[in-house]
Amino acid sequence: MLRAESADLFEMRVRPLLAAKCFACHTDARMGELQLDTREHFLKGGKSGAVVVPGHPEKSLLLHALQYSDDRLKMPPSGKLKDDEIEAVSSWIASGAVWPENVKIAAASEYVITAKQRAFWAFQPVQAPKVPQVRNRKWASSDIDRFVLARLEEKSLGPVRSASKRTLIRRATFDLSGLPPTPEEVTAFEQDKSAGAFAKVVDRLLASPRYGERWGRIWLDVARYSDDRLNSERDDPYENSFRYRDWVIQAFQDDMPFDVFVKAQIAGDLIPNPEKYQAGLGFYAMSPEMQDDRVDATTRGFLGLTVACAQCHNHKYDPIPTRDYYSLLGIFRNTEIHEIPLAAKDVVDKYDGQKKKIEKQETAIADFVKAQGQQLAEVLASRTAKYMLAAAGVGGQAGPKLDAETLTRVTKYLDDPKKNHPYLKPWLAERAREADAGTLTKTAEAFESLLLAANAEKKRIDDENHIRLGLNPSREDLSKANLVSMDRDKFVLWEDLFGAKGVYRYGDAQIDRFLSAEFQEYLGGMRSQLASLKKELPPQYPFLHAIRDKEKLAEQHVWIRGSEDAPGEPAPPHFLTILSPSQPPKFTRGAGRLELAEAVVSKSNPLTARVIVNRVWQQHFGHGIVRTASNFGAQGEPPSNPELLDYLARRFMAEGWSIKKLHRELMLTSVYALSSDNAEANFAQDPEDRLFWRFDRHRLDAESMRDSLLFVSGKLDEKREGPAVAFTKDNYRRTVYGAVSRRRLDPMLALFDFPNPNSTSERRLQTTVPLQKLFLMNSDFVMEQSQALTHRIESKAPSEDARIREAYRIVFQREPTPQERQMGAEFLKHSPWPEYAQVLLSSNEFGYVN
Amino acid sequence: MTTMPYLSRRSILKTMGAGFGMAGLAGVLHANGTSGTVLAPGPLAVKAPHFPATAKHVIFLFLNGGPSQVDTFDPKPMLQKYNGKPLPSGNLKTERKTGNLLGSPFEFKKYGQSGLEISEIFPKLGACADDLCIVRSMYTEIPNHEPSLFMMNCGHRVPGRPSMGSWLTYGLGSENQNLPGFVVLCPGYPIVGPQLWNSAFLPAIYQGTYIPNNEKTPDKLIRYIRNASIAPEEQRRQLDLLERLNTMQMRREGADSQLEASIQSSEIAFRMQSEAPEVFDITKENNGARTRYGDTDFGRGCLMARRLVERGVRMVQVYFGNAQPWDNHDDIQIHRTLAAQADGPIAALLTDLKANGLLSETLVIIGGEFGRTPVVEVSGLVKVQNGRDHNSHGFSTVLAGGGVKGGMAYGATDEFGFKAVENPVHINDLHATVLHAMGIEHTKLTYRYSGRDFRLTDVAGRVVRDVLV
Repeated sequence: MLRAESADLFEMRVRPLLAAKCFACHTDARMGELQLDTREHFLKGGKSGAVVVPGHPEKSLLLHALQYSDDRLKMPPSGKLKDDEIEAVSSWIASGAVWPENVKIAAASEYVITAKQRAFWAFQPVQAPKVPQVRNRKWASSDIDRFVLARLEEKSLGPVRSASKRTLIRRATFDLSGLPPTPEEVTAFEQDKSAGAFAKVVDRLLASPRYGERWGRIWLDVARYSDDRLNSERDDPYENSFRYRDWVIQAFQDDMPFDVFVKAQIAGDLIPNPEKYQAGLGFYAMSPEMQDDRVDATTRGFLGLTVACAQCHNHKYDPIPTRDYYSLLGIFRNTEIHEIPLAAKDVVDKYDGQKKKIEKQETAIADFVKAQGQQLAEVLASRTAKYMLAAAGVGGQAGPKLDAETLTRVTKYLDDPKKNHPYLKPWLAERAREADAGTLTKTAEAFESLLLAANAEKKRIDDENHIRLGLNPSREDLSKANLVSMDRDKFVLWEDLFGAKGVYRYGDAQIDRFLSAEFQEYLGGMRSQLASLKKELPPQYPFLHAIRDKEKLAEQHVWIRGSEDAPGEPAPPHFLTILSPSQPPKFTRGAGRLELAEAVVSKSNPLTARVIVNRVWQQHFGHGIVRTASNFGAQGEPPSNPELLDYLARRFMAEGWSIKKLHRELMLTSVYALSSDNAEANFAQDPEDRLFWRFDRHRLDAESMRDSLLFVSGKLDEKREGPAVAFTKDNYRRTVYGAVSRRRLDPMLALFDFPNPNSTSERRLQTTVPLQKLFLMNSDFVMEQSQALTHRIESKAPSEDARIREAYRIVFQREPTPQERQMGAEFLKHSPWPEYAQVLLSSNEFGYVN
Repeated sequence: MTTMPYLSRRSILKTMGAGFGMAGLAGVLHANGTSGTVLAPGPLAVKAPHFPATAKHVIFLFLNGGPSQVDTFDPKPMLQKYNGKPLPSGNLKTERKTGNLLGSPFEFKKYGQSGLEISEIFPKLGACADDLCIVRSMYTEIPNHEPSLFMMNCGHRVPGRPSMGSWLTYGLGSENQNLPGFVVLCPGYPIVGPQLWNSAFLPAIYQGTYIPNNEKTPDKLIRYIRNASIAPEEQRRQLDLLERLNTMQMRREGADSQLEASIQSSEIAFRMQSEAPEVFDITKENNGARTRYGDTDFGRGCLMARRLVERGVRMVQVYFGNAQPWDNHDDIQIHRTLAAQADGPIAALLTDLKANGLLSETLVIIGGEFGRTPVVEVSGLVKVQNGRDHNSHGFSTVLAGGGVKGGMAYGATDEFGFKAVENPVHINDLHATVLHAMGIEHTKLTYRYSGRDFRLTDVAGRVVRDVLV
């Protein structure tokens, strides 16, 4: 074969194979010290020497490894290559293994962002678009309206009619408080003919503490907030998770500028007045621990970028190199969980000290009982033969009296023929054939000696293992140490009789009667001491789940293919390359959190403001201007109205990152006041309402559903703040204060599409399924609210008809039609009131917002 | 805009009732302007597969904790021969410290015409050998329970991805509109818990419905399935009123697919109340059947699985037990006790499915999240060293029914049973194969979420065609 052909073979067959199968480990990672990216490196070989002998495939280590014919070296480890692939490599080596000079074929470190990638809309600075001219000037009452209308007019579409005042106030009230309006609020608004009537409603709603409870929760979706950890074996609550939740609620209530809000969550301990902000660190302190989701939550949550996709390879669609992922990961890996006490030092010390004393005392008692129990077991075991004979009803009664309970235990043990060891087989056989007392005695004594020998052996082995492990072994030591063990059958025998649940074993509270008076008194004294120590233990002081920088910072490397065992090039802490004008500067202060926070909220960062205004828009209008609220990358959807998005983002920053001002601006528009009507022409062109020609009707979410049922039934308990409350029968609090679990989410929440708190959520799904209807039809909760609503109405209205009208006012904030009154009366002739109330509470008019 | 009179809609819903499969569980009567009302399928309506399927249902009998392959389905004479000797090539990395080779205390026997070798601790399952396909070359990445449970159930090592049953019901719907399409039975919880049958970003309707099958009364098995104080005929009156009110509201506000779906859901919910409890009521089975399955949690679970599949449920998963029973680090002899509890019910299920013709359209999967080491675990202070550590390098999964070849073993571990070396099958490959049997091209069953197309097999997966008929 000609040299040129060998080079071709390399280009056509070998090079693609190397790239697909070898580069992950044999470029920058240099596993086995082998680097296959340049001719020079290739010829140099690795730890085991040269990989090829040109011209001699049969002598080449590479081929043996590929053929899996070498004993140890089988490559690639993920599975043998196809025969024709191996054949190609073989021919290439046979033809001289020509590797064209100066060809570097892998360049993980030379990640280049192309001009085209830089030009992507989301990475452009936020523009100041000119407010467009529109034809229907009468409809457009604000700049936002003009941006929306211009798009509609471009497509020759027009907005549908405006919603009624009742619909509008109901919509706004659900939107800002998560609850329906009262009939009085609706009437007042309907009667207020002033120009600023709706602005008054919005301002009232924004000022109410219900606002923070509603909108704080919307951020908690992004923050994957949970009151427990996803522990695989048991419930594992965060004791103080609610302090982060309450801080978020208060931040929304106080209209904390959003840039400050973000900084507090990333670096609240490092900005002025940390006491006001560091509760925000719960965003990271309560990260799901089973996966490293901190980069994911940071980038999708704040920036609308899916940087976690670059964990194993450069991002497939967005200009995000793997190194950027590890640059961010390193920041978080250089932090640690830190509980910040919210009490004076003496209070903290007192609690911690007392707690330690209790633990010490508990250990002392356990040790004493264990030692006594072991000794006692040995004493009892030394009379095993006697117990066995007594259990069999043979043998003399001479010698010390046998213990009755122990005899019962031994008898029970011997009576169960299912043994996991063979040592009682002779005894059981002899008993079965009713052997004579002499034979039984011999067998029992033999068993006794065997048992005592097994116990002696166990002690000897334990001693040796203790020496091998050293003092205070960690779980890791236990997993990794090489320990000795006894024969399995003997161990089972030992466990049966001497183990924690063994026949001869008496534990705490059982052992006392075997102890002498002095020992009993000693143990009793220790117990009462423990009781008083516990009594004196003050309640645990409050603390914040927070993080702090580690004292010793470690250098982060790229992990090849996401594997910690395969470190590649260093990835020093810095911000995302695409969001930096050139190569991003290295963060130098501590782990780099404050610099990260500043980069995230920098006004030159094109994403943060756009992402949050889009989230707020999505919440008000049902879908975002960008409908993938946490992905503004190439795989996300482009904005349906980019000028509007930039207009909002720019104003938002100019107005001091105020969320409340943003609400006002969005709600005091004609587009917010649209009805949910259909319009044929619009529907044909834009069935998903991307251009906002009508208002999206939506089902109440889990919180609004539950809270509204309690609100209209009169049962809602509006107590604020505090520890998470389980959704038990007597929980009437707002749902935002209910326990959110990563381990087992409350079924009612899950049923109504509450997001999975194991990862950051970009929007609520809205399903309509029969299981939700079963909840409305049969759950104790809905039945109880139907009863309560009935009581509420009965006390107010004397006649049946008046009650029906009152029910409509409370539940729907309107008068019933004559037909509806007649239907109600008809139903109530045969059925009790709570069943009628339940129908109203289950209706679509109650459960949907127009 | 035409609005259908309320009675005729109800009669349509009635005719579309159980099993018909036209109107989905949340089927939508989609109003399409003046052209009239057309039926559009709902999320659980039966959907056509990509190509003809060889299986319509999946039953996954999950032996949670990690059953040991060399003691169950993967005989290793060399392991017996070198019992107690060090492994010549050195031990692979697993979670804990391991020592020398530990021969299986159990004998393997050849079963059936195929002579498939299975451990003596599964004699009844052995009698079904000619229907079994043992994949002996399974592998995954991490020898810890949590990531491997996620991998086996959701195709990815970390939480936040939909479970296999969620993908199947999303892709294919379910044949019975009065029952959930994906049912999970477990006495208590496996470790990790409900995340394992979560629908994640898929709509919640595709979530597994969890049934605590240690409960014995049907009312306790399904939440909200029965009203304690309102009789059915009384509830019917409520629903009639509700539907009239909802219809009037829709007439006022204009047709809307969401409002229609809501009306329909109430009707289906009403019917579920009578059908769902019946299926879990195994007292409806004759004594012979109940004896064959046994009155254990797992036995009842297997029997319920059969009843669910008979009624058209798409996927049923039965966990062997609470927490992780098969995790025998200390003493592999415990496998004998566990197998004794698993053997009868699995064999009874396979036999029954075969007898009523359902085995040919039901793919049964038997196995755990990973296997165990052929070498003894030597960690731990007071425990005996007669057990095995976790092993992600190689393990066995058993398939039966629905388009799978019987009486065969596929792939192989090395001569001691440590690592899959011949035709290795990753869990993603297993999933691709299961989807294939169900008529789904695994790379095409995708869901777009946050700008990315997700799938059960993530970015991997290869259909193991050799095990399929």
